[in-house]
Amino acid sequence: MILTQNLSKRYGKTLALNNLNLNIERGTIFGLVGENGAGKTTALSMLATLTLPTSGRAYVCGHEVTKEPKAVRRVIGYMPDSFGVYDDLTVMEYLRFFAQCYGVDRRTISRRAEELLERVRLVDKRDVYVNNLSRGMQQRLEVARCLMHDPDVLILDEPSSGLDPKSRLEMRAVLAGLRELGKTVIISTHILNELAEVADEVGILLRGELVAVAAVQVMVQHSSAYRTLVIDGRDLGSAFVKALFADPHVAEVRPLERGWEVLYAGTLAQQAELLSRLVADGFAITQFREQPTDIEQLFLRLAAIQEGVTL
Amino acid sequence: MNIHLNPLLLKEFRQRMRTIRAPLVITAYLFGMCALTVFLLYENVQGQLYLVQPTKSQQVFALVSLLQMVIVAFLAPAFASGSVSGERERKTLAVLLTTPVGPFGILFGKVVSSSALLVLLVVLTLPVYSLVFLYGGAVPAQVASVLGFQLVTIVVISTVCVLFSTIALRSTWSTVFAYGSVGLMTVIFGALGYGLKSLYEQNPIDYTALVWSHFFYALDPLYVEAAFLGVVSAKAHVWIPFVEFYAVVIAVLLVPSLWRLRPQWFSWLPFVSGTEKQYQ
Repeated sequence: MILTQNLSKRYGKTLALNNLNLNIERGTIFGLVGENGAGKTTALSMLATLTLPTSGRAYVCGHEVTKEPKAVRRVIGYMPDSFGVYDDLTVMEYLRFFAQCYGVDRRTISRRAEELLERVRLVDKRDVYVNNLSRGMQQRLEVARCLMHDPDVLILDEPSSGLDPKSRLEMRAVLAGLRELGKTVIISTHILNELAEVADEVGILLRGELVAVAAVQVMVQHSSAYRTLVIDGRDLGSAFVKALFADPHVAEVRPLERGWEVLYAGTLAQQAELLSRLVADGFAITQFREQPTDIEQLFLRLAAIQEGVTL
Repeated sequence: MNIHLNPLLLKEFRQRMRTIRAPLVITAYLFGMCALTVFLLYENVQGQLYLVQPTKSQQVFALVSLLQMVIVAFLAPAFASGSVSGERERKTLAVLLTTPVGPFGILFGKVVSSSALLVLLVVLTLPVYSLVFLYGGAVPAQVASVLGFQLVTIVVISTVCVLFSTIALRSTWSTVFAYGSVGLMTVIFGALGYGLKSLYEQNPIDYTALVWSHFFYALDPLYVEAAFLGVVSAKAHVWIPFVEFYAVVIAVLLVPSLWRLRPQWFSWLPFVSGTEKQYQ
């Protein structure tokens, strides 16, 4: 369904992507994990026909992205890493506009929009202006927008970036639901754990090179058992640390120049609970985020073990 | 019958017309034009509105038409100059470029939607012109040609502004280019035409000055409009060089605009490769 052969991209002297070789089968949800600047967005924008490869080839549903870009655009739904929305359009009008761009007929648009709003849990927001939605809702709406023309392939670039734990949880549920639709999905992220319940396979990009591809369970098993949380806020002193340790999943708390670093063994849902509890306890939290997966360490661990891993 | 209108056009119409701003602009504009026309008619006949004085009425018609031309010329950039650069700044352009609408569809939708409100303003002023008809002095064919040229000018200015909005990566710059273009068209070209004509009048042997004077005058929409109104003596069909010149300008500006939207089409050029990201 998605095939790349030695796909490379150079921006001036910078080699953003080096010989990417992927073969993603129909119906697979594939995660592309890497730190910022690893080449994830470059790879996805080439598949979305926005960027030309410097060398190599890429095929989506049998169409080569450089030779048949129009055919590729018809079969993909693309969500960029950083996107905006149109002011003065309601959720329904927003979906209708993009469906019309693909020539979807009027009756299908209404039916499909309702189905998708149900799927992304925004059905009660259909008449709300898009710019009045929260960031998490806008990101879920983007997933619905990508599906409006019923594409075979979804290309989602960091769909959970910038979201709080609760919104990330909601987005993860939406992404997990894509499996029922039988779509081929490629998702990029810098947080490996995001993909745990969503993806079938994961590829690791390190400084522009795909260094490993493996089943998601293998990857998650070999990544650290702990998530690193960064929490910052006003007057977070010893009472705050005490409140943190009240959570059984908190393993360690280290002070940072600003805020605290927390080693956390719980799930994303438990993370959301922790945040809710801290806020309910009256702590003024201004930042609560998960540190990206240390890709280099994960790769070294995988390379050492070599079990079930295609390098 | 299932008519497929440009979706971008439908969206822009919806966005522009749903707020109170559009009806307010239209009402204020019509009120202003009506008040001005009545005032000019009244002043020109010195309060004797029962007298039919076609010459005076024609002067009012000319003044109102030229004023309308100035207003629409300077309003057009306000609607068009941020059209594509705004999409880029809002980060909605990349997604639009992955849809089948394509660069030509985007440009067409933006030009038509930017021109639409001004076209509506011009069409809605027709009843104002009927006041002038009441006192004679303007024949329907002349009114039609004057309004027709105004519509052409709106489309030309909107197209140039949309193209600059595509070429300039920031709305600030596209606004500067847009108003610069309108200033060039309405002020600089007219001044050049006037200067060269004065030069010719001082030295009637200098025929080149006269030729260039006609050339620059023909590029000034106010001069061409004045020619339609019979206020200035100009060559017949002075609008033809106007249309030809701006068709060439638009064709020239279209190339860098398409380059900004789809750098891939120009990937055979050495300086284009690897520049896509910043334009989308």
